[in-house]
Amino acid sequence: MNRISMNSRRAFLKQISGAAMVAGMAPSILTWARAQEQVIPFPNEDGMILRSFRFIDLESPVEYFNSFLTPVPRFFVRNHMHEPSELDAAAWRLEVGGEVEKPLTLSLAELSKLGTHSVINTLECAGNGRSLQRPQVPGIQWGKGAVGTARFSGPRLGDVLQRAGVKPTGKHVMFRGRDEVPGKVPPFIRSIPIEKALDGDTLIATHMNGSPLTKHHGFPARALVPGWIGAASCKWLTEIKVLDAEFVGNFMSPGYRFPNHPVNPGDAVKPEETHPLTALTVKSMISGPSDGASLKARQIAVHGTAWAGEADIAKVEISTDGGIHWNAAKLGHEQAHYAWRLWSYEWKPVKAGDYTIQSRATDSSGRVQPSTAVWNPSGYLYNAIDEVKVHVS
Amino acid sequence: MFRRGLFSRAFCQIVAISFLALTSSLLAQKAVPAGVNADLPAGPMQAKATTACLECHEARIILQQRLSKGAWTKEVDKMTKWGAVVDPADRDALIEYLSANFGPEKPPYQPQKTAARMR
Repeated sequence: MNRISMNSRRAFLKQISGAAMVAGMAPSILTWARAQEQVIPFPNEDGMILRSFRFIDLESPVEYFNSFLTPVPRFFVRNHMHEPSELDAAAWRLEVGGEVEKPLTLSLAELSKLGTHSVINTLECAGNGRSLQRPQVPGIQWGKGAVGTARFSGPRLGDVLQRAGVKPTGKHVMFRGRDEVPGKVPPFIRSIPIEKALDGDTLIATHMNGSPLTKHHGFPARALVPGWIGAASCKWLTEIKVLDAEFVGNFMSPGYRFPNHPVNPGDAVKPEETHPLTALTVKSMISGPSDGASLKARQIAVHGTAWAGEADIAKVEISTDGGIHWNAAKLGHEQAHYAWRLWSYEWKPVKAGDYTIQSRATDSSGRVQPSTAVWNPSGYLYNAIDEVKVHVS
Repeated sequence: MFRRGLFSRAFCQIVAISFLALTSSLLAQKAVPAGVNADLPAGPMQAKATTACLECHEARIILQQRLSKGAWTKEVDKMTKWGAVVDPADRDALIEYLSANFGPEKPPYQPQKTAARMR
């Protein structure tokens, strides 16, 4: 990191030398100076990339991905709308209704009596990596860091549904949160199939890494649908409704859908030729060395994470010769069904030069990270083989 | 480490320019900390785009996009449906303004960071 910042400082000095210090250069220098000097004060968030302040969208820098559990202040935040302006745990109620025998209204205290189950889950925004799609597509332009892993705890959703008694007509389960909707924007409501809702690992989470959820992560309770896109895990949960069919609304269609068949990049896709996004795909990411790093060591630790939604990571391979040869990375010992695996690879470059380090994951269902991600109009599930460019001297 | 004379002079100029910019933006934004608010770029549609778009979300959501005119057209029409107040007479000019400033050929947006606290 120091070496990189030195390099940028040198580049900067070169930039301002001689004729560059003419009036025309002032705006770019100003931009540089402001970018270097101005960080945004943001309580309880730690050095996060600011994608948006209103609504709050924060991304983790890739160098944070070196621990199995992501500390909450370093965990990405995704909001479609304003966070609730008031959150009173004492007044909070969860309504459970729809296709059930006995509708329920639960306080936080009543919810906590329904038992606690913990799931270590890698939560990833469906749009993570969107900025890497070509042609570019609209939406928050996430880099690589709209992903994180935490231990989520709370009662099983299935236990709550069982208490309410799901009717045979109940096929989907809808979540509504307390996001505050601006203008005429459709409310953020989505549904998941009943099978996933009744899975023993699907939770109404009240805790994250052992502490009560923070406001940005859905206090006092959120859905936690492990292995699935982050949008399935509705925050500030206040209503659960069992439906006889998939919920109809903007965030089920056209939002969060994927083409049934590959399309040419840039092409429009007919709504009837898409399906709702569910589980995450196979993916690996290099957290070090940093892209653009200048390295002197003879032995270089390449490291990162890999995850595969509901599947397990089978292997991660590294290439430093443009994908001709792939070498197995060592997988970290910490593992959980829905969680990423840390990995590392000791690279011994035989000569100096410019290199591209690539990482490629394979999962237990045989899926392999592709060299090019499937383009789609909203830039979901970007999972191309990851790469960083480094200079070895 | 640095070519001292040159660096000092440049540094003073940067400080002076930054100070002026920060002061003026602080005055404009009143009590909001410097850098929190971002502005849409200058242009004939700046004021109308600010009113239409920034009522519901902030400028960074626009500043980071790199879209074709066709994609901007879809966005403007979607947002108008969702409550953005755009006079039909201004629609095309708004699309033109967004396409001209945030087209695919523009250099990547450089985001800011939140302050670091765990070290």
